Amino acid sequence: MKVDFRRLGLGVAAPVLAIVVALVLTTLILLVAGDPVLAVWQVLFKVPLPRQIVAIVNEATVLYLSAVAVAIGFKMNLFNIGVDGQYRIASFAAAVFAGAHFLPGWLNIIVAILVSMLTGAVWALIAGVLKVTRGVSEVISTIMLNYIATYLVAFMLRGAAVKVEGSNATSTQILAEDSRVPGISISWLANTSNKVYGLVLLAILIGFLYWFVLAKTRFGFDLRATGQSESAAVASGVNVKRMIVTSMVLSGAAAGLIGMPLLFGQDYAYGDTVQAGLGFAGMSVALLGRNHPIGMAVSALLWGYLNQLSNGLQIGAGVSDRLVLIIQGIIVLSVVVAYEVVRRARQRLEQGRVARELAMQAAPATKEVAA
Amino acid sequence: MSAALFAQPTSLEPLAVELTGITKRFPGVVANRDISLQVRKGTIHAIVGENGAGKSTLMKILYGVQAPDEGTIAINGAPVHLKSPTEAIRAGIGMVFQHFMLADNFTVLENVVLGAEKLYGIGDAARAQIRKISDDYGLRVEPDDLVADLGVGDRQRIEILKVLYRGAKILILDEPTAVLVPQEVTELFSNLRDLKAEGLTVIFISHKLDEVLSVADDITVIRRGTTVAAVDPKKVTARQLAELMVGSELPSPQTEESTVTDEVRLELRGVSLAGHGQAKVLDNIDLVIHAGEILGIAGVEGNGQAELVETVIGMRRPDAGQVLLEGSEITGAGVREIRQAGVGYIPEDRHRHGLLLEAPLWENMILGHQTEAPNVKGPLIDAKAAKADTEQVVTKFDVRTPSILVTAGSLSGGNQQKLIVGREMSHKPRVLIAAHPTRGVDVGAQAAIWDLIKAARREGMAVLLISADLEELVGLSDTIVVILRGKLSGQFDPDVVTREQLGAAMTGADQEDE
Amino acid sequence: MQKVIKTIIAAGAAAMMLTACSSGATPSATSAAPSASTSASSEAPKIKVGMAYDVGGRGDQSFNDSAAAGLDKAAKEFGVDIKESAATNGEAASAREERLNQLIDAGYTNIVAVGFAYAESVKKVAAANPDVKFAIVDDSSITADNVMNLTFAANQGSFLVGAAAALTSKTKHVGFVGGVETDLIKSFEAGFDAGVKAVDPSIKIDSKYLTQPPDFSGFGDVAKGKAAAEGMYQSGADVVYHAAGGSGGGVFTAAKAAGKWAIGVDSDQALTAPEDVRSVILTSMIKRVDVGVYTFIKSVHDGSFKGGTTLFDLKADGVGYSTTGGHVDAIKDKLEAFKADIISGKITVPEK
Repeated sequence: MKVDFRRLGLGVAAPVLAIVVALVLTTLILLVAGDPVLAVWQVLFKVPLPRQIVAIVNEATVLYLSAVAVAIGFKMNLFNIGVDGQYRIASFAAAVFAGAHFLPGWLNIIVAILVSMLTGAVWALIAGVLKVTRGVSEVISTIMLNYIATYLVAFMLRGAAVKVEGSNATSTQILAEDSRVPGISISWLANTSNKVYGLVLLAILIGFLYWFVLAKTRFGFDLRATGQSESAAVASGVNVKRMIVTSMVLSGAAAGLIGMPLLFGQDYAYGDTVQAGLGFAGMSVALLGRNHPIGMAVSALLWGYLNQLSNGLQIGAGVSDRLVLIIQGIIVLSVVVAYEVVRRARQRLEQGRVARELAMQAAPATKEVAA
Repeated sequence: MSAALFAQPTSLEPLAVELTGITKRFPGVVANRDISLQVRKGTIHAIVGENGAGKSTLMKILYGVQAPDEGTIAINGAPVHLKSPTEAIRAGIGMVFQHFMLADNFTVLENVVLGAEKLYGIGDAARAQIRKISDDYGLRVEPDDLVADLGVGDRQRIEILKVLYRGAKILILDEPTAVLVPQEVTELFSNLRDLKAEGLTVIFISHKLDEVLSVADDITVIRRGTTVAAVDPKKVTARQLAELMVGSELPSPQTEESTVTDEVRLELRGVSLAGHGQAKVLDNIDLVIHAGEILGIAGVEGNGQAELVETVIGMRRPDAGQVLLEGSEITGAGVREIRQAGVGYIPEDRHRHGLLLEAPLWENMILGHQTEAPNVKGPLIDAKAAKADTEQVVTKFDVRTPSILVTAGSLSGGNQQKLIVGREMSHKPRVLIAAHPTRGVDVGAQAAIWDLIKAARREGMAVLLISADLEELVGLSDTIVVILRGKLSGQFDPDVVTREQLGAAMTGADQEDE
Repeated sequence: MQKVIKTIIAAGAAAMMLTACSSGATPSATSAAPSASTSASSEAPKIKVGMAYDVGGRGDQSFNDSAAAGLDKAAKEFGVDIKESAATNGEAASAREERLNQLIDAGYTNIVAVGFAYAESVKKVAAANPDVKFAIVDDSSITADNVMNLTFAANQGSFLVGAAAALTSKTKHVGFVGGVETDLIKSFEAGFDAGVKAVDPSIKIDSKYLTQPPDFSGFGDVAKGKAAAEGMYQSGADVVYHAAGGSGGGVFTAAKAAGKWAIGVDSDQALTAPEDVRSVILTSMIKRVDVGVYTFIKSVHDGSFKGGTTLFDLKADGVGYSTTGGHVDAIKDKLEAFKADIISGKITVPEK
């Protein structure tokens, strides 16, 4: 492959630009707020401790799955805002199923994961069907379905809840030891006893599948074509309605996986302290990673890292927890803006390059005009 | 082709518009180079050049949309710097775009005053002013008509009126005849002469040489971004003008002897399509195209051509009737099935229906043939084979591109179109639907595409050709049918039909006597 | 493929930037940080207390602030070195764990975890750090020698304000606004209901929770609190009790607009709420989280710390009702009688 230094330079330009812009803006805000600029930057650029690395990877695992679920929709211009509700209702279903221990050990885990995917898929299917039959925007219907999921799960959790003496938290039956996915120790790499979710492997597999299906299959081509230009896709023979339903279902099924590392690797139950808002975080991660399988992995890690900073900034630099959110927002915004700026520059460059190369071919002809 | 062709204006009166040494560069390209233009007051001045020659850029500069990198603009002898259309309007320049900018559900009055409310208000004063302009220049515009009810010619006159209402003394018309039928063109030209008679200046952009020669007082020719000649229309022939435009001999579509066979490839029986209102968009269409035949459809845009194409390719389902491909029924089948069965499709709007602008060329080659060799192996895309296929098509169909990895959007219109034609041809369709196959492409690409379509016909392909360019239709077709308000209103032999006959059938004028 | 490579390069570049900068900087964040500590006159080495707040943190005018008040009181008396950190909405369980760990890393070996959401994290971190002393609010599921469980009989306090509401209501119609429908808040409702019914079983009680878990925004959404209370006042209720944290501000605003009564929660809100609405606060159900926190720090200070559950109930004055404003003066005797009955065991207040 020929190395094109200009393209390479542009590829590097986006993150560099983003970091510079974020640095400047954050510093300005810190100065305005009267916070210690230096201390903040020291915390931001501190190498994470081993146990923090584990936490970052774990958080990124979950975020990545969420980002993939969102990206499946994004790739064809569907805004599945409903990933949030889908993963919660799906996790709940899986937790109830796995908690009942109908099946032994690994079988229980695998079937529960399938139950979760199915639940997520069905929940997303509702929005897909509403869109193709009644023309309801998926944005509206998925937002509403999120609400419904919240109340439905809260209602059902009351029935499914198992009381733990002395605890104010409500949750489903705790999974038996043999229905848990063991974590992966990284003690050989770094000094910590904390473990990475075993299901990080699932996230990697899903990332690979996402890439493979989109880049290598006919179905993926149709999906991308629909996203780039629905009218062109229709003219090329894509059944757009079927594509909408299929991709919503796939997106929902992927959303069903989001809660699995939490269920089988950390909480071992679904309760009212389950991590909320992962679907929305996944949208940011997907946006940041440009829906690209590796881009999203990097941005999921970045996001996990930023979340990790919250404690450090408060404890290490004495910054208010609100300011931490602002700093995170600025970094994300900078990245998005930088990508867009670079994308446009690249587009202009390419058009210019094509015109120039063709003009060179036509050079003998132009001389005649000058005469 | 030398400086001798630049006729110097003789009048001592200041020029309405004078451009000197205008140059405009875009990243990597020079769109305009050392342009000089002298427009006399009270004349119709035509600017001719093939597509992509730089006419649009020049007009954008004159209308303040873009600023030139070099050169000067003088209006009525005074140098100006136009930074926005607002300033251009203030300087008395008005522009009538090719694509009308009118709100359908507004009245004429509302459309005209929109954005110019300060001039005469929005009430009776404005209405009176519109009537006055309409009467002065014979525009026959009724302020309280709803735009949605009006035809293309009426809409164009409203656009002209809009510009006059804002006080323009110099009017720029960008390809005003592209959307008109011959009768409407005649009427437009009479309007333009009225404007001239009232002392206004008209700059008229076109590449239709007959029209230019009949209406213009002066002609400036643009080629490859620069002005190559200023000529007096009384002293040149269309042929000479064309050669100035192209820099070489002008091609024209000439069908060779008939290759029509009696093998029916595509047949439509009583196809109807309901519209939103009462009128049917397609009304009982019967059509037969044979192998080796090019069937041309003539008609004013919006009379059902687009819907006819979309029905054949499967994007719309007819409400009645049958579509048969080589005798077997494909009515109501999906686009993919129909394409697989051997229907190729060159869409009318390549950006909307023919290409993924942000995808590389080789992916665009797959588009529309996602299930066909060499693009796929089972459910997987065979990128290697598709790329090799793309390389071949690019070479064979002369798509000018540095690489098959660049995005389709970075190619010029002509090359995009050649890519589409090549793509559809390379799959050897039984029937080819070509909707406006040379719209918006340069003369060179146009000739190439004509040749390709003729070659396909020789090989026995059946072609359904839709075009607004009568010359193209007459030159290529074996049979021409006219579509009017969703009905086929006449069938003609292209060898003997005249433009007036076609024009009459297209507007329904031939039926008015009945 | 090109795209993939591009992204890898981009990612690599970003990573390099980060590491390059990090190696250049001296990681001494803690020393550069402004001290949130309160200096005191005490000569003795200060007790180092790390506070891990629930979502909202210090300044939420409710639960967290109540804990902060206990901390401030202890700081004044004993001289305490304080480090504070608050949870963010939607954070991972590991973030809570990490918060405790970082406080310990920074040398704050006496940790207060505010809220039952910390239960799992405290359990883990306490086991890994047996030398560190913990207090957790609203949870008694952990049993460890180095964990003090601070629990509150909020149902008992709610019983008393329920009785106050019933005795004050003229329309025989009262309301309850809960922040988030968790078991904890449901025990507030259960106590309130029992108190109302103890006075007059015919009184109608409206009940509304602002959000459902895991959406905990119901503890900080003034608009939702206002809307819920408005609905109740319009349908005839004339006293509304809120157990909705920061959303309670909206309940007070609605009460003021309707010219009716509201009942505060956690602290004496007639003293802490914005001045213009204080007049509508009939009483407040006081949950002495501040006393709990203070008790913990004091026990560390005088060396009497012991793991296990401490129940702050009516008897221990850990919960109660406030009398600021004098609106309950007329019914105080009756309330005191109920209080005595609960303490003596004559009345058992339900938890659910």
